[in-house]
Amino acid sequence: MKQHPLCTDTEHVTNVLDLAIPAQVKQEWAELQTRRHFLGRAGKVLGWAAAASLLNNRALRGDNYSAAGAPGGDSLKFPNFAPRAKRAIYLFMSGGPSQVDLWDYKPNLAAQFDKDLPDSVRGSQQLTGMTTSQARFPVAPSHWAFKRYGESGTWVSDLMPNMGRIVDDLTIIKSTNTEAINHEPAIMLMNTGNMNAGKPCLGSWLAYGLGSMNDNLPTFMVLQTKLNTDENNQPVSSRLWSSGFLSSEYAGVGLRSAGDPVLYLSDPNGVDREVRRKMLDAVNEINRQTYEELGDPETNSRIAQYEMAYRMQSSVPELADLSKEPQSTWDLYGPDARVPGTFAYNCLMARRLAERGVRFTQVYKRGWDMHDNVTKILPIICRETDRGCYALITDLKQRGMLDDTLVIWAGEFGRTVYSQGGLTPDNYGRDHHPRCYTTWMAGGGVRPGITYGETDDYSYNVVKDPVTVRDFNATILHCLGIDHNKLTYKFQGLDQKLTGPVPASVVSGLLA
Amino acid sequence: MTTLRTITERGVRMLPIKQSTRIAWAASLGLSLLLLSLPWLVRLDGHSHADWQQFLGRFHPLAVHLPIGLLVLVPLLEVVGALRPALREAAGFVLALAFASCLVALSLGFLLAYGSGDSGAGVSRHLWGGVVLTIVVLICLLARPQWHAKGVGYAYPTLLACMLIALVWTADQGGSLTHGNNYLTQYMPAGMKRVLAFGTTPSASFYARHIHPILDANCSSCHGEGQAKGGLRMDSYELLMKGGKDGAVIVAGNSGKSVLFQRITLPPDHKQFMPAEGRPPLQPEEIRWIKAWIDQGASQTVAKLDGITIREELPEAPIVPVGDYSSLMPEIQKMALGQGAKLKQVSAKPSDGLVLFTVDAASTFDDAQLAQFQKFAPYIVEAELDRTALTDACFDTLKQFTNLRALHLEETKITGSGLAKLASLSHLSYLNLSGTQVTAASAASLNSIKSLRHVYLYNTPAQPAPAATRASQPATPAVEAAQPKEKSAQ
Repeated sequence: MKQHPLCTDTEHVTNVLDLAIPAQVKQEWAELQTRRHFLGRAGKVLGWAAAASLLNNRALRGDNYSAAGAPGGDSLKFPNFAPRAKRAIYLFMSGGPSQVDLWDYKPNLAAQFDKDLPDSVRGSQQLTGMTTSQARFPVAPSHWAFKRYGESGTWVSDLMPNMGRIVDDLTIIKSTNTEAINHEPAIMLMNTGNMNAGKPCLGSWLAYGLGSMNDNLPTFMVLQTKLNTDENNQPVSSRLWSSGFLSSEYAGVGLRSAGDPVLYLSDPNGVDREVRRKMLDAVNEINRQTYEELGDPETNSRIAQYEMAYRMQSSVPELADLSKEPQSTWDLYGPDARVPGTFAYNCLMARRLAERGVRFTQVYKRGWDMHDNVTKILPIICRETDRGCYALITDLKQRGMLDDTLVIWAGEFGRTVYSQGGLTPDNYGRDHHPRCYTTWMAGGGVRPGITYGETDDYSYNVVKDPVTVRDFNATILHCLGIDHNKLTYKFQGLDQKLTGPVPASVVSGLLA
Repeated sequence: MTTLRTITERGVRMLPIKQSTRIAWAASLGLSLLLLSLPWLVRLDGHSHADWQQFLGRFHPLAVHLPIGLLVLVPLLEVVGALRPALREAAGFVLALAFASCLVALSLGFLLAYGSGDSGAGVSRHLWGGVVLTIVVLICLLARPQWHAKGVGYAYPTLLACMLIALVWTADQGGSLTHGNNYLTQYMPAGMKRVLAFGTTPSASFYARHIHPILDANCSSCHGEGQAKGGLRMDSYELLMKGGKDGAVIVAGNSGKSVLFQRITLPPDHKQFMPAEGRPPLQPEEIRWIKAWIDQGASQTVAKLDGITIREELPEAPIVPVGDYSSLMPEIQKMALGQGAKLKQVSAKPSDGLVLFTVDAASTFDDAQLAQFQKFAPYIVEAELDRTALTDACFDTLKQFTNLRALHLEETKITGSGLAKLASLSHLSYLNLSGTQVTAASAASLNSIKSLRHVYLYNTPAQPAPAATRASQPATPAVEAAQPKEKSAQ
């Protein structure tokens, strides 16, 4: 028998018990031998155990701590700790909402109307091509008044009367800041942690790490809000909910805002569910053969997606059927919610997805990019979104879902305090502003009724508790029970992660 | 010197002994005197000294456990030795070894205190304890041969008893220095604390209720009665405000200028970060309270601070680890692969327990199916049973889910008649009964569940959906109305 190198004590030695000696001596020997063996072996075992623990025990086990390979395998790696939120709803405000006009109340600005923004405030900042050639940067105070709401006494713009009523449920972050000043890099940074395309987005990372909570709907769903041509829209596209280098089954699945929520989901005329099943079985068999031949994991993703689509044939019509929603729903979300594709409808849909075990829902609302005509456009978009946000939070709360659902409201950057283009008493424009912008979260894991971070008198620079995009994302992951440094995937020789290589930290001041 | 001589001579007269023994006694006496005078020879001045002293000194907590173990062993060997003489023979050797290790531990301990600049009543008590203990051990060592030779006499057993008392007292002092005064009693059951009268009735001020306990738990082991590093003591309000040898640590009204606040908010790897030496940082919440307290005047008496609301009446129950269910793991994993109800781990830490998901089988999941989960019952901390076919009969099964913290029963056929059975779930903190037929009367039985924090009765007879809430009007508080002890505590 081949001997294990650690077990030297089992070497073959002359067995005293086999020798021709008196039985009494044998007996004595046997007793001695037992004790010697025991002590000797115990000593060795202890010695090796000590050696093993002194050496890096990861090196001994030879495994890799990163989460490479599909989760849900032999051992569960995520959540790393008991999560406060099981799911999240991300209301993404594409275009860059104006923190100056919505959340970041600066009463002193009224006296600064049309005065030049002090150079000391702007410093050496490089501006966008849209305002860099402006002769002057006149301060444009918000056109709207602010009121204090709630026990927390938070100031909220008159543009959002409904949000004012739930400020005590919100965790408002006034010090969010980004490194990108233009839409594409900024929106990519916010969603994927990197300004360049090709990285997985937050939703895909969550799907990859946490997996699904249900079998009949995707883990990560995306709801786009119908275009409102009165607003200044920037394009969003599927690159924002792409799974990047992760398996494509973790990509976001979009529900369309008009017509069939999912295209080609209904069976064509003359094809019933049984025929569809047979067809799928045949396709799956062919795919399996392909996989065996080529070994590309994407083939397995395709099989999984066909199966998901098959199950969605029954789950999506049920999801989109709002006829059973009681009148109180419509009273809460408002009449807009009856029209598919509106923001209010999508908020209602987000609640229904959360009820059905969808891990992550992202609602996109475009139109916040107001380079001019703020006083006309901003009220339109606020009317469109104020009620929906309010209704979603209120509805989740009354149904007991806000305890384990994290709601996030954020855009890719803020807007400048100075006017882009002409400033009149009645109108102004605002350019992109990365140095500070306001976001909020609510629900599982975050501390309600607080405002975090402070900006200077011009809402231009963060003066206290800055929250970078990577800190923001690390905090979201934390609420969902994930250590952002552990959610990694080996790609191009690196342990890639959502928060990127620059150190990020969970913003503990936001946590409940 | 004459006194010394008299004592020695008297000793010699009393004990007719050999020359070598006499030398031993004399040497011991000299050593004892040296030990006793040590605190005067080298004073603990509260300043830190050479690094090598600290380096060696820090082995004191390590080395100190050897004499403790040996000294406990000595009386044991002597007693058991009455039956097995061989053990009594060993006692002498063990005692000698104990004495040697006492000397080592004492020296290291002194180096630690001197090197790192520790001072304070606790440090001196521990030091004196160590000195006295070492001397008592030495006397034991000297007295033992006579006792052993005669086999009678009470002197040696009495000495051993004194040694044990000195040992326990000294060890306790040392433990208090390392871990803080309340280390042993912190998690004592409340009933036992009352009987033993630990802790005093808390005063109503914010300082007494919130600030002092934070400082007590995190700072006072180094800045307290026992040790006063940097001359700073934080175990009482007056001493805290007085500050340390470098001046005040709290500037009332200005947390930014308060050294205390500066030091606790440094990055944890900063050299000056407090709590020092790798002790866990304060919680963000605690830092927030301290900041608010300092900014608003650092008063000893103010009861409430602006902007700080503490839900202390209803603390969330800590997560209780569930038992070991590894033997059930194959079954759980198999279940997770199929369609239908499944158990999933709350987190990668198995002791966080399991969640029961029924979302994929909701309409068919009934009381009989739930009953099949009985064997997993103690490991399930959360049950998502919403929209299932469960009826009131489910409570007979659910009452066995003893570690359950969150229970979802919304949109089921529950009427609430069995809700009282949940009273056995001592960890249940979240209960969602929205959209069921639960009435106010049956919901009232929930009041007996002390751990409940979040109860939802939205759209039930107990709490009908608000009729036509207009978003432009103030909303009625729609949640938790039937549960008066719920204070929007999410």
